[in-house]
Amino acid sequence: MTTNGSRPRMVTVRVQRFNPDVDEKPYFDEFQVELTPAKTILDALHEIKTAQDGSVTYRRSCRHAICGSCAMYVNGKNILVCNTPLRDKIDEEGTVTIRPLPYLPIIKDLVVDRSSFWEQYERVKPWLIPSADVPEKEFRMSSEEVAALNKAETCIMCGACYSACQVIAMNKRYVGPHALLKAFLRVLDPRDMAPSERLADVGDQDGVFRCHTIFNCIDACPKDLDPTKAIETLRKLAQKRQAFEAARRDRQRMLNEPIASS
Amino acid sequence: MYKSTGFISFVLRRLTGVALVIYLFLHMWVIGSVNSGSEAFDARLALVQTPIFKLAEIALLAAVVYHAFDGIRLLIVHYVGVTEYRKSLFYAAFAVAALLTIAGGIPILLFAFQG
Amino acid sequence: MRIFQMQRYSAIALLVFLTIHMIVVHYPPFHVDFTRIIERMGQPLWKAIDIAFLFFVLMHALTGTYAVIIDWERFYAYRRELVGAAALIFILAFVYGARTIWAFQPPA
Repeated sequence: MTTNGSRPRMVTVRVQRFNPDVDEKPYFDEFQVELTPAKTILDALHEIKTAQDGSVTYRRSCRHAICGSCAMYVNGKNILVCNTPLRDKIDEEGTVTIRPLPYLPIIKDLVVDRSSFWEQYERVKPWLIPSADVPEKEFRMSSEEVAALNKAETCIMCGACYSACQVIAMNKRYVGPHALLKAFLRVLDPRDMAPSERLADVGDQDGVFRCHTIFNCIDACPKDLDPTKAIETLRKLAQKRQAFEAARRDRQRMLNEPIASS
Repeated sequence: MYKSTGFISFVLRRLTGVALVIYLFLHMWVIGSVNSGSEAFDARLALVQTPIFKLAEIALLAAVVYHAFDGIRLLIVHYVGVTEYRKSLFYAAFAVAALLTIAGGIPILLFAFQG
Repeated sequence: MRIFQMQRYSAIALLVFLTIHMIVVHYPPFHVDFTRIIERMGQPLWKAIDIAFLFFVLMHALTGTYAVIIDWERFYAYRRELVGAAALIFILAFVYGARTIWAFQPPA
C-alpha cells in the first residue's frame, strides 16, 4: 500500500440500485470508502448507509456468518458480505461491485424476493420425522453416519447456492441445491422414518434429476458444503429406495443395541 | 450469468448436444437415400463429400468428442463422487477432446485437400 | 427418474457403439460410396450392431432434447405432450432407420 499516513487509501464501491416504484431498471451508484485492513464489505455498506446515502437498502442481521441474511453477488461471485474483507474483493480498477443475488426478483437495491427459495425448502419437509415410539435411550449415531452427512447440517440457508444455480436461473420449478441438501440430510439421518417418501419426492425430474452437475452451488457456498455430492448421493439412493427403507428399519431396530465402536 | 468452469461446460454440452441432434437427423436422411437404390445413395453422398463438408466434419468431430468426454466426466463425478476435482476434471475432459479432435482432424484435412 | 436413467444408460452404450462406428466407418477417411460400405453392411452381425446403435442414439438424442426443453420454465408444464411427441419421433425414426439399415443388401 502506498499510504503514508496523511492520505487514506480510498476504494470505489459500486452498488446496484433499484427502486421498483420509481426506476425502470437497475443502475449503479458509486461511493468512496476508506480502506482499512479489518473492514468487511458489510462494514463498507454500513458506512455508505449511515454517512453517505441513507436510502441504500440491504439485508443483514448477525454479522457473524450464521444468520444467512447478507448473501450478495460481489464481483461476479455469491458471497456473504459480513465475513469477506473489503480488501480481498478489490478488482484491477480498484473497485468493488456489489449486486443483489442473481436470478431472483429484486425488492429494492440489494434485497431480493426469496419466496421461491423458501417454498422449495418447505416442499422437502426439512424437519425430522421420528419414529412414533419414543426411544428409552438417547439415539447414538456412529461416527461413520456423522461423516456421511458431509457437514450438511451446517447450512445457514443464505441462498448463495440457490441463486448461483443455472437450472434455477432457467426454471424455478426445480427444487434447488439448498432444499436438496436438506433432503439429503434428512434421508441420511438414521433417526428419520420417511427416507423412502423423501426419495420418491425429490427423486423426480423437478428434483435431483433436473440437476445438470454445473457445480455452481459448491463454488458459491460460503460454508464449503457440497450440494452436488448430496444430489449425486440422492440420485443413487432414489434408484434403490425400497432397499434403503428396509436398511433404515433395521437400523431403527438396533436403536437399543450398542453401536459398534470405531 | 454465474460464470464458472461448470457454466462453460454446461453451455458447451448444450450447444454440442443440440448440434448433434440436428446432425443425427440429417445423417439419417442422407443415408436413408439407400432406400431408393444404390445410385441414389451414391449421388446424395457425393453431395456431402466436397472439401467444405469435410471441413465441417472436423467441427462435427470436435462436437462429438467434447460431448463424449464431458459425459465421461459426469459419469466419473456420479460413480466416483469426486466433486472436489471438478475444475481439473473439466480441463482434462476439454484437453483430451481437443487432442483427439486434432489427431482425428489431420487425416480428414489430408483427405479433403488431396481431393 | 426413468428418463434420466434412459439418458444415462444410453450414454454409456453410446460410448461403446459410437467408438466402434467412428473407427470402423470413418477412419481412415475415404470416399464413401455404396460398393465400399456394402462389404461390411452386407453382414448380418453389422446390421444387428447398427440397429442397436440406432436404438441408443435415438434414445439419447430424444431424452436429451426433452431435458433441454423442460429446463425452460415455459415448457415445463407440457412434459406429457413432449414425452408423447418424443415417443412418436422415436418410433418413426427407428422404423425409418432400421429400414435403411436393412436396405444395404449386396447387389444380386
